[in-house]
Amino acid sequence: MRSYLLLMLLIAVAVGLTLLPVVGAPQIWLLYLFYFFVFLAAANMWNLLAGFSGLLALCPAAFIGLGGYTMTILTWLGIPYYLGIVVGGAVAALFAMIISVSVFRMRGVYFAIGTLVVPAILRLVFLRWKPVGGDLEGGGAGYMVKGVRAIPPETTYWLALAIGLVSVILVVTILRSKFGLGLAAIRDNDISAASSGIDVFRLKLSSFIIAASVMGVAGGIFYMNQGYIEPNNAFDINWLMIVLLATVIGGKGLEWGPLTGTVIVVALRFQMARYVGISSLIQGLILVVIMLVAPQGIMGLVRDLRKAANSRLVS
Amino acid sequence: MSQLSGLASPVVIGILMGGLYVTIALGLSLVFGVMKVINVAHGDLVILGSYLAFSAITIWGLNPLLWLVPSLPLFFILGLLIEKYLLNRAARMSADAALIVAFGLALIVQNASQMIWTPQTRALTTSYSMTTFTVGNVYIPLVYLLDFAAALVVMVALRQFLERTYLGQAITAASQDRQTAELMGINPGRVSQIAFGIAMALAATAGIFFGLTFSFNPTSGTALLIIAFGVTILGGLGSMVGTFIGGMIFGLSQTLGGHFLGPTGQLLVPFLMVLVVLTIRPQGLFGR
Repeated sequence: MRSYLLLMLLIAVAVGLTLLPVVGAPQIWLLYLFYFFVFLAAANMWNLLAGFSGLLALCPAAFIGLGGYTMTILTWLGIPYYLGIVVGGAVAALFAMIISVSVFRMRGVYFAIGTLVVPAILRLVFLRWKPVGGDLEGGGAGYMVKGVRAIPPETTYWLALAIGLVSVILVVTILRSKFGLGLAAIRDNDISAASSGIDVFRLKLSSFIIAASVMGVAGGIFYMNQGYIEPNNAFDINWLMIVLLATVIGGKGLEWGPLTGTVIVVALRFQMARYVGISSLIQGLILVVIMLVAPQGIMGLVRDLRKAANSRLVS
Repeated sequence: MSQLSGLASPVVIGILMGGLYVTIALGLSLVFGVMKVINVAHGDLVILGSYLAFSAITIWGLNPLLWLVPSLPLFFILGLLIEKYLLNRAARMSADAALIVAFGLALIVQNASQMIWTPQTRALTTSYSMTTFTVGNVYIPLVYLLDFAAALVVMVALRQFLERTYLGQAITAASQDRQTAELMGINPGRVSQIAFGIAMALAATAGIFFGLTFSFNPTSGTALLIIAFGVTILGGLGSMVGTFIGGMIFGLSQTLGGHFLGPTGQLLVPFLMVLVVLTIRPQGLFGR
């Protein structure tokens, strides 16, 4: 009954959001929502990794940047952006498979630092490398997305909405499947999970690849809207900050945590856009304070309050 | 032949500069040993040390080396506070929580530095910044020699402290086996605090020498963290000699990478090495 209600609510919200550009919502709303959906997709996937699969992967920028770069480079080769976005997701997934050979040998903090190095390496590689030649800027200077002006803003918005929804649906279905049950067992105790016949490695690898592909698509959509990509931005630690903050504020390891956290991250970003330096400083402070005071984030607090209210009713 | 003589400079400078990484890595591995936390803010705290020295020399005209005297206790106390109020509390929750809090601290330090000192690139300039020696046809800047000498002093002093003093032995015991150390009457909370304070003093030291050797900006810390982590893994936790060799190897990889691949190679080669080292030996080459 509850899941049925949830489904209805999701569909209603999705339909409402889809119709926004048609009913003439202000451009600035659409822009806020665009950022919201892209960040939500990335945060949901990061929560799948760090919250549910026990993988503190510090490399979201690698997947997002690769997705963005793939889409951009393909537009220069005459391939339309919508195909480029899909290919970007595939490239990110392939890249996740390749680096998993290395980083999946590491555990705990070793895995965290091992994955932190990955976007740093990609940044340096893309600073040197000009994937397509000719009369392009390329290399360290970055690329324009070719033909970006022809894309109507509603299309950009709908694409972002789509990847945001996909990320929500993915998390909801995964958590209610056997796959999600396995992940929960791993998160609680990976040794006993393995001894109950769960293929820990395969499950973790699957969520790593799923997360990479969704982040890759989100990256493609994000840089399509930017119209421009360069290594220092695409592989910046800022991406890690966004997903970490959104997940931790909302509640790491909780189904609706990233959704709540992303609302706050986007609000902070636009409210404080005038004070760039202090904005990041405050985000750092929030991260530390939330982690120490309410490690389960806002949704964790909500859950605790509900529990407290219920127990009062009972007693 | 001319190819080989061209290599002499990067090799010598790489080895000397490796001293910087040794100093940074010792702080990182000391904390990791006792608290099992990788302080991902360590690199940014090193750069904070560089910035404070920068202010000291521009405001008071101090010699940066003289600035070591007040900055070591200052950073030691700062370390005690950070450990007590932030990292220790997070470490008791989970390893992930500690890493996330340390990451938040890194963001705070980076952005505070950016606000106070602007994102502009700075350097610690002194009367001896440009002094060089010539040995054969190799030019050796004085500051690189200072980096190396500082690393040797730090290593010997730290080793003496860890082996000879009660507190040092307690730190060693706690990093080998926390529970047993606690049973032997060692207060692990206090030991972690002191270890973190010492790591911060090492960060202050490294910051001053780093600033003397290279120009820096608020985001320079991340690369330092990654390389210092690589040095720690390559050298093995708790192995002084291993860390020393690791520092030299990473110093060499940086100068040789720059020599063969140009400016971006300076970081690309050591970063790739970190990944390779972690892949081959996820627990470190000379480690336990």
